[in-house]
Amino acid sequence: MQVSLPISAAVNPSPARPVVTGSLLGANAPSIALPLTFTLTGLLALCSGLIWLVLQPSILAGYHYNQYVIAATHLFVLGWICSVVMGAMYQLVPVALETKLYSERLARWQFAFHVVGFVGMVWMFRVWNMKQVGHFGCVLGMGVGLFVYNMARTLWRVPKWNVTATAVSAALAWICLAVLSGLSVAAAKCVYDSESASSATGAVGVLLGGLRSVAGFLAHFDPISTMHAHAHLGGVGFFTMLIVGVSYKLIPMFTLSEVQSRRRAVCSIALLNMGLAGSFVTILLRSPLKLAFALVIVASLAVYGWEIIAILRARKRRALDWGIKYFLTAIVLLLPLSVLAVVLSWPGLPLNTFTGQLENLYGFLGFIGVITLTIIGMLYKIIPFLVWFGRYSRQIGRAQVPSLADLYSARLQAIGYWAYLAGLAVTSAAIALSNETGVRIGCGFLALGVTTLALNVGKMLAHFFKPTLKPFTLPTSTIAKTA
Amino acid sequence: MTTNEITEEAILETLRQVVDPELGCNIVDLGLVYSVSVTGQKVIVVMTLTTAGCPMHESIRWGAQQALLNLAGVAEAEVDVVRDPPWHPSMMTEFGREATGVGNF
Repeated sequence: MQVSLPISAAVNPSPARPVVTGSLLGANAPSIALPLTFTLTGLLALCSGLIWLVLQPSILAGYHYNQYVIAATHLFVLGWICSVVMGAMYQLVPVALETKLYSERLARWQFAFHVVGFVGMVWMFRVWNMKQVGHFGCVLGMGVGLFVYNMARTLWRVPKWNVTATAVSAALAWICLAVLSGLSVAAAKCVYDSESASSATGAVGVLLGGLRSVAGFLAHFDPISTMHAHAHLGGVGFFTMLIVGVSYKLIPMFTLSEVQSRRRAVCSIALLNMGLAGSFVTILLRSPLKLAFALVIVASLAVYGWEIIAILRARKRRALDWGIKYFLTAIVLLLPLSVLAVVLSWPGLPLNTFTGQLENLYGFLGFIGVITLTIIGMLYKIIPFLVWFGRYSRQIGRAQVPSLADLYSARLQAIGYWAYLAGLAVTSAAIALSNETGVRIGCGFLALGVTTLALNVGKMLAHFFKPTLKPFTLPTSTIAKTA
Repeated sequence: MTTNEITEEAILETLRQVVDPELGCNIVDLGLVYSVSVTGQKVIVVMTLTTAGCPMHESIRWGAQQALLNLAGVAEAEVDVVRDPPWHPSMMTEFGREATGVGNF
């Protein structure tokens, strides 16, 4: 019998505009515009940050308690990492946990608060106007509040609670604390600046009284320790917690495997939470006990690594694509990062130029190494996915549509991977040696790596305007027997 | 064409046009199609997906349905996605294994 299929879809592709196919995304996922907007904003921030480092390498080559380092760090953390992670969570959490996003409208509002907040914060950190940092921080904080509320309501609907849902919930709690601690530091500094002028009464007076109390409380702590504790809440509590928890769902999904030991998975999340809670307090108090809690976090990551290895060994898909390779490289980088964490937590470690640079290296390897590589790896899964849904989900079954791997260049991925690794190696060495030229060269390599990502993103987005559709051709393989 | 001419082979050939975009292989050679039945001009396909909660779920199901509706003689197409029995690489054809690099190890 003749199989005849119309090829009109291939000959006359629909208008060259992004098509948001809500129903085909499944009942669970939001429209593709939402995560794509967050992602593109994040990429812009990443590119800006790396250009900044190339132009001003002293940011990484000198001690980190100054306005430029803090501004650049917030550009990377809020502009790049938070933007992409939050956008991805709106997409992935409902899909991975088989539930529905509570409100896409709230997410769009959060985006507005987020962008205004982080751009203002970075700029005001750069000119060291802490009062305005506080104001923009409040705007960002309102966005985070909307994000946490939206995610919490989404999690409330999860039909079957699992370790990923637990990790996401914990991450939401930690980001709230991270934002509150950051705002407290900024608020305290504002009050120091304007203490004598505040004689307001009523609600403003109560607010100022509250801020003064916060300032008084924070005055008990060393400001650098407060900053480090705040950074760990975000870096470990939010980002690392999400990496660990979400990868228990995504790595098996992408490699066709399964979680091998639920006990190990639960154990890693529990240890990470315990370690971070203890680390936060002991870092804040400059207690020698911080080594013990650092070791708890290291133990958690070791258990996590053990489980990831087990998942990979059981995988049914032999070949690992570049997205997964980026991700796994990030996991491997947890090893030197853990060693650094232990060294820097060592009781009585003197703070000199070298150990100060090791602290820079620790932050760099954490945010630009582990977390950024993880995100790039996952972006190579998420963006093709969104583009494919937006452009081709209406054409499947009517014409030959490209696979996800056809949407980007594997060659660019490989070039980007090696350039980024070279950049990490050179920049790390240069940071340790306080060498500005080395930092500039290393960040140039990092920028090259990110450029390949940007080119691939452009290549993928081009499918919205120039789709690749072909008429059907019958395959020549043998017909399988079905049950 | 009469309804009697809608054969299992024709349906499977048609479903081979529907490719899982993540794995880059058609759903028949991936072993995702569990059963095919024809009643008059209605075709019912029972299939699965490689992963529970697969985000491609709706697209692949819709694509399979569209492909079947384009088959001459088919007036109605129903595609049911089930999770039991779960998919396993042993269900793939040799062609599917070669195309995807998925093994049974």
